[in-house]
Amino acid sequence: VTYKWLSYTLGVHVNQAKQMLYDYVERKRKENSGAQLHVTYLVAGNLLQNGHTCHKVAVVREDKLEAMKSKLSTIASVHVYSIQKALLKDSSPLYNTDYDIVKTNLQHCSKFSAILCAAAVRRTPPDAPRAPASAQSPQRQRDPDAAGAVNGHGPPAAKPPPQQHKGIMGMFAAKAAAKPQDTHKEAKAEAKEAPGVSAASSKPPTKNNIMSNFFGKAAMNKLKVSSVPEQPKEEKEVVKPSVAAAEPESSPNTVAEKPGKKPESARIQQKDKKSKTKRADRSDDEEERDPENVKKKRKRIKQLQSDSSDEEDVPPSPTPEEEKTPSPPPVPALKTELEPASTEGSAGGRKRKRKRVLKSKMFIDEEEGCMGKTG
Amino acid sequence: MFSEQAAPTAQGLLAPPSAEPPTFPRVPVSGYSDCSQPFQLGERSFSRQYAHIYAVRLAGMRPGLEQRARSRWGSDVALRKLSELQAGEKCCVVGTLFKAMQLQPSILQEISEEHNLVPQPPLPKYIQPSDELILEDELQRIKLEGAIDVQRLVTGTILAVYGAEQDDGRFLAEDHCFADLPPPLPWNGPSSDRFVLLASGLGLGSVSGEALLSTQLLVDLVTGQLGAEGEQSFAAHIARVILAGNLLSQNTQSRDTINKAKYLTKKTQAASVEAVKMLDEILLQLCTSVPVDVMPGEFDPTNYTLPQQPLHRCMLPLASAYATLRLVTNPYQANLDGVRFLGTSGQNISDIFKYSSMDDYLEILEWTLLAGHISPTAPDTLGCYPFYKSDPFILTECPHVYFCGNAPHFQSKLLQGKEGQRVLLVTVPDFSATQTACLVNLRDLTCQPITFSSFGADSED
Repeated sequence: VTYKWLSYTLGVHVNQAKQMLYDYVERKRKENSGAQLHVTYLVAGNLLQNGHTCHKVAVVREDKLEAMKSKLSTIASVHVYSIQKALLKDSSPLYNTDYDIVKTNLQHCSKFSAILCAAAVRRTPPDAPRAPASAQSPQRQRDPDAAGAVNGHGPPAAKPPPQQHKGIMGMFAAKAAAKPQDTHKEAKAEAKEAPGVSAASSKPPTKNNIMSNFFGKAAMNKLKVSSVPEQPKEEKEVVKPSVAAAEPESSPNTVAEKPGKKPESARIQQKDKKSKTKRADRSDDEEERDPENVKKKRKRIKQLQSDSSDEEDVPPSPTPEEEKTPSPPPVPALKTELEPASTEGSAGGRKRKRKRVLKSKMFIDEEEGCMGKTG
Repeated sequence: MFSEQAAPTAQGLLAPPSAEPPTFPRVPVSGYSDCSQPFQLGERSFSRQYAHIYAVRLAGMRPGLEQRARSRWGSDVALRKLSELQAGEKCCVVGTLFKAMQLQPSILQEISEEHNLVPQPPLPKYIQPSDELILEDELQRIKLEGAIDVQRLVTGTILAVYGAEQDDGRFLAEDHCFADLPPPLPWNGPSSDRFVLLASGLGLGSVSGEALLSTQLLVDLVTGQLGAEGEQSFAAHIARVILAGNLLSQNTQSRDTINKAKYLTKKTQAASVEAVKMLDEILLQLCTSVPVDVMPGEFDPTNYTLPQQPLHRCMLPLASAYATLRLVTNPYQANLDGVRFLGTSGQNISDIFKYSSMDDYLEILEWTLLAGHISPTAPDTLGCYPFYKSDPFILTECPHVYFCGNAPHFQSKLLQGKEGQRVLLVTVPDFSATQTACLVNLRDLTCQPITFSSFGADSED
């Protein structure tokens, strides 16, 4: 039992853990219960070595404690490091205990420490889903203005995480296990690819769209039919943020799109908003993919439209998509979504229906693709 | 430093649990700016020859050297180029040194089939009494002899030599001088105690795990978990941690997998993968509490040539989530609270060590500062990127703290220059061997080593 292990297990400050250990040792020894406890201490102090004073920090066994204390010219600190029943031959069990407990608590390893660093804030939101704890903990003593001086990531990163956390926590509560985890992994994986892009794009304003977009994607499973009309709306929403992020030229298209689809949008939006929070994490994932796929999607869409093919995957379509993409099936799906948005402008119901068919097929494929990939 | 002020509360934790123990906020880092842009390579093209570096180096250092020569040997001393030399005339020549060494490992000798020689095994030092010095400038070269210490100097140094050309075509040198300390930087140091911890050679991934507890103790000390209250409050004054290279140990360099057949090595993972995971965890613990700068070293997964580029953050997924982690280049320069730090992971110093008679790392460190160049042996015996526009290793401003990592033991010295420069020279020892790290106090430029130890199967020290 080391003080660190105790501190993490009981959730107390490290100094309190050390004092607890000391107290325990004293009490047990007074009771004379017969069980032999072996204690190791941590001694730190100044030592004269090679002509200059050197600060030495050592873990020593109890029997060597006095010897070490006498060697040091000034003692800076002494405290109990660990207690065990058996005599330790070497320090590896101590290290292993600490290593294991720290590994299980990696995200909050400084929670019980005596020093709190205001500058240690997490960076971009894509990493947030894993462990929102540390950066947001109430321990923050100072505003990360100091952190802002350290690097520019602090302040902008601080803003999106709170909102996303709430959304993500709600989503956690609501959603079933498999999907979030899959998308987490994807989000993580893509977080690396597209932090630049997503960070560059205006995250807070586009978040709503992303979430609604996700709603569209995930809803396929549940409401195949009702999701279909939502799809175009979603995809448009997808287009909006990703376009905002990636390509300025498509925005006029989406804007043109919007008035055409307003009546439907009103209906759909409510649904969107409801499940917005649920889809937050998938939206992260989508959002990461979107910026990259938008460009390719648009080209592909054009092709699709012209071919007016009902093929699920679009192998014949030109290459850019094929090269990249975390998941080619979603690309065609989103492609078809984007079709009307990007090129045709206010296509109207006719195209919508066609897309509907296409979309549903696409979605199924996409679904399978998704499931096959991540499942 | 730590100890004196911490002593009163030293025994404080040998007591029953008290009320809510205090937590100390970490000193905020004001004024950090990274000055290592010259060492960051953008687009790299290796299609150029290395001769350009020497040309640029000479051109860059010539004015300064000429000024020094004038101040040393009189302002009327004749400064000649090699092509203008006349026999018997006392003059001063500025040029690049080349040391012709017999034992220097040469790739041409290795692959020469006529000789059928076995490649030379690596030696600790390649110097020999028969080494010769040759001075080169832009157009010509001339052999040097005289009052000049052949053993001590290394190839690539730019210096000014005062002497005369002999009849047999050699240059008899009477005196020589280097660029000396560069102009000083204004001092804006902090008024209160602020520390920077320098550590290098963590050596993760090595077969032996003895240093692991010491590494853990180091992390605990810095993050404030170790020590009594006084010590913890002092650890809160550590404003930054700089890890100067060799985070992975030499054992992770499994070169033989390249030679083995693919089917044999398919299932094996490079040793560096595990080591990097361990590094990530350690860095995560550090990053949650203190800003960390990570410099790559000789055995770290980055490019081999100097300047080594920063480690890629995808290798450290857990730790790079924190804004406090900074991955920096190998010669690293930064302004911390008004104090200019400049340092390397030690490859330049150890290379000079191999080709010079100087034995002391601190002495070599001081010598590079006086010679005005971080790594004079750079293209010759140490890998380097073929610069052609400017040589970023030339010292143009005098840093306040000049360090090198992975030295055999800890040494430090405060150097005072003629123009008021104050430089703290620190050789940061290899942590995996010595379990020692250094703590630099920014207020008064002093340095203290911190040693960690645990008890082993044999008697502890």
